[in-house]
Amino acid sequence: MAILWLMVVVLGLTIPVLAMLLKGVLGAAKSITPTVGAISGVAAAASTDLDAVIELVTTQNYISQVVAGLANYGGSLAVALPDA
Amino acid sequence: MELPVAIIILFVTLIVLLLAVYLLATIVELLKINAGLDEVLGKVGEIATKTAPVNGVLDAVNTTLVAGRNLLEGLFYQKAGPDAAGLVESAFPGEGPRFLQRIGRAGTVVPIGEEYPRGAAILNSLLGVAPAPAAPAPAAPAASGGRITLRGRSAPSATVVEEPSIPGRLSAKGSRPWER
Repeated sequence: MAILWLMVVVLGLTIPVLAMLLKGVLGAAKSITPTVGAISGVAAAASTDLDAVIELVTTQNYISQVVAGLANYGGSLAVALPDA
Repeated sequence: MELPVAIIILFVTLIVLLLAVYLLATIVELLKINAGLDEVLGKVGEIATKTAPVNGVLDAVNTTLVAGRNLLEGLFYQKAGPDAAGLVESAFPGEGPRFLQRIGRAGTVVPIGEEYPRGAAILNSLLGVAPAPAAPAPAAPAASGGRITLRGRSAPSATVVEEPSIPGRLSAKGSRPWER
């Protein structure tokens, strides 16, 4: 009989501890959800910001044209100006 | 049934209920997190796809720019000779030694200053005009014909820009002397 009462006491003490631990786990899991949502929003915004990256190809073409023009200009200067 | 046994059964039932409720709620939250991470993964994939060509394009741009720079620096050294590094140093302080290093030359860099008489003389001889005397005071930019100025003394104004008629004056705007 004494053992049975001892078990009752142990179980009675276990229940609040278990409830506290489970509540902590649930709280931690719930705190992750909005963070993931925020990360998703930031990733979407970053992805939208990167839509203009494709314009770099146009920039590359322009730079090639500018450098080609500079080379032609340098060629003219090489002919027009005397060497040192 | 004895009283302690009934209480034990009650407590065990409570524990099982607690576990079930909290673990189910935790599972629901983990499923939400999983869905959110799936969404993030899609967006990160988009970012990776969009940024994939950047390295290649920037490498190509840098290669083109370096080729242009090397071309112009070689031409500059060919035309200005030993004055080239000093001219670069005068126009862009600190760049003279790097210029020498890039073109593979050694020596000390002596800044030319704001005026480059040799360049002005070459330009004037090409244009067939008499060289103008050096301007005595910085307050008279309009009288500085026949000189090459590496740096302006003041902020560019419309008055200064609209002076292409001065022989030998280098200006980025307006008509060039050899275009007339």
